[in-house]
Amino acid sequence: MLQKMYDWIDERFDVAPIWRDIADHEVPEHVNPAHHFSAFVYCFGGLTFFVVVIQILSGMFLTMYYVPDIENAWKSVYYLQTEAAHGQIVRGMHHWGASVVIVMLLLHTMRVFFQGAYKKPRELNWMVGVLLFFIMLGLGFTGYLLPWDNKAYFATQVGLDIAEQVPLIGTYLKTLLAGDPSIIGAATLARFFAIHVFFLPAALFALMAVHFILIRKQGISGPL
Amino acid sequence: MSEKKQVSRREFLNYTLTGVGGFMAAGMMVSPLRMAIDPVLKAKDAGDYANVKVAVKDITTEPKRIEWTIDQVDAWYESEVNKSAWVFKNDKDEIIALSPICKHLGCIVTWEGSDDFPNEFYCPCHGGRYYKDGTNVPHTPPNAPLDYYEQKIKDGMLYLGDTIERSEAK
Amino acid sequence: MKKGKGMKFVGDSRIRSDNPPFVPKDYSEYPGRTEAFWPNFLLKEWLVGAVFIVGFLCLTIAHPSPLEGMADPTATDYIPLPDWYFLFLYQLLKYDFASGPYVLFGILVLPGLAFGALFLAPFLDNGPGRRPQHRPIAVSLMVLAFVATAWLTYESAKDVDWEARAEANKPIPPNDLIDTSSDGYEVYKNNCASCHANELEGGSSAPSLIGIDHTPEEIAKIAKEGIGDMPPNVFKGSDEELDQLVEFITEVNEKADE
Repeated sequence: MLQKMYDWIDERFDVAPIWRDIADHEVPEHVNPAHHFSAFVYCFGGLTFFVVVIQILSGMFLTMYYVPDIENAWKSVYYLQTEAAHGQIVRGMHHWGASVVIVMLLLHTMRVFFQGAYKKPRELNWMVGVLLFFIMLGLGFTGYLLPWDNKAYFATQVGLDIAEQVPLIGTYLKTLLAGDPSIIGAATLARFFAIHVFFLPAALFALMAVHFILIRKQGISGPL
Repeated sequence: MSEKKQVSRREFLNYTLTGVGGFMAAGMMVSPLRMAIDPVLKAKDAGDYANVKVAVKDITTEPKRIEWTIDQVDAWYESEVNKSAWVFKNDKDEIIALSPICKHLGCIVTWEGSDDFPNEFYCPCHGGRYYKDGTNVPHTPPNAPLDYYEQKIKDGMLYLGDTIERSEAK
Repeated sequence: MKKGKGMKFVGDSRIRSDNPPFVPKDYSEYPGRTEAFWPNFLLKEWLVGAVFIVGFLCLTIAHPSPLEGMADPTATDYIPLPDWYFLFLYQLLKYDFASGPYVLFGILVLPGLAFGALFLAPFLDNGPGRRPQHRPIAVSLMVLAFVATAWLTYESAKDVDWEARAEANKPIPPNDLIDTSSDGYEVYKNNCASCHANELEGGSSAPSLIGIDHTPEEIAKIAKEGIGDMPPNVFKGSDEELDQLVEFITEVNEKADE
């Protein structure tokens, strides 16, 4: 039965070549912790991706309760954390995941840097990776405001004031981010929500796709 | 054969493709982008003066923190917000109303907020300090004096308006 | 991949109809000690992932994600702190050379140089050698940047009393603890609200009155005689009003305990 279903799909989709490429590609010895224990450093990239998956899933579920509105945002977070079953854990996953993903990104970046793995022909993928790092910091910054608690509000105020001090475009930059030149309020929260949930993840997915395709094309960097 | 560079059919089609693509992208993005940058382009209306419920005769030379509320319109959200100011009379008997918002990164300064710096406004975030007239103490993080409020006096009561940056006036 | 005439397709599509069924490559086809990604290597990665998720879930359960009180733009005594991975920037802006007239150095030049160099690292460090000892400049700069960032983060965090912060910013349940129509609230508003705030949450000069651990008699005594920094005779009302006030505060606390 399963085989029949597979055949039916394969007849239309031609799965085998795609699947072969993913499943059958050779993993070299030097990244395999079964042969060299030190190869665990190659796990950091994969773990980063794993945490990103956790972030995406927990974030999706959080929006079932969360509302980006200054009257209700905090209340909805408080509710999901205290009243909804396992809400504390789901928000915990998203909250701690945001920190863990930065740690993993740092470790992954350090691995690549100290191995000199960014050298030709992998310069492009390094730059894509650095952009991913920036996007992740942007997600951290915009996500910090969403619970609309004091910590969120005042840290965002500081962040926006830093943006405002950029010469020439500072005020415009702040207004563009906050939705108002002086108030951090309803418009700010809505904007940060949009950036956090749609704009940055869209960029994140696109760059992650490029990152992974480049790894498959170029293969992992050789042993030192 | 003429020396003029010929546009091949393929090039022509490529240019046309780019043009039509640009047209589609523009049609798709003009309104969303204009909407996104609207807050930047919106003109700001001048604020009114609010009665801060402090009688002029009660103002001393010691900075006192006063609070009052104004109606604030934040996009679709209208609310009463609390504003505050440090109000005192200076040596020339003029009333000074300073904004408590630190010019460094927007924290709130307090008069004599640190025991180490008497007679100064102190910001707890990064240790910014200001002299009594609001001028920033050199070699502390702020790079401008505290803003002050526009003020007027009516029937012996103090009215405060918008804040004004010191570098703009005087 | 075979090409040319004689190929058969599924219907009028471009998918070959003689598609061989999915047969994984034989293990003997992997040279040396390489191995197949699926399932051999992925299993090892997933084992690491399984250990990781257990640790991660333990973290989330052991440390509930913090939520402070609802944002109050008028809270004047709140000292903002960004998330830990921005602390280094926050600390940098405290220094003389990165603030005041040099703030652009702190917010643009220095971070711009650091992140620009990170972004362009492959072009700045374009020698042939990959081992760290073959590229001492790049490696030492990175170590320097890393140590500097770690040190800045430590500097900004070392003086913060995290427990006191968490304690002072505990969320107040948003439910209708406070019956603003009661007589007791009226008395509270007239006597106590100027320091302890309209919803008993406290402020810069006085603590929150929710979650206190006093008997009704003690509350009455404190209202009249003061405690700690609170001066005596703040309460100016009749004994009847005092009873209403005490009853009101006790009720709110009982509700908050539930």
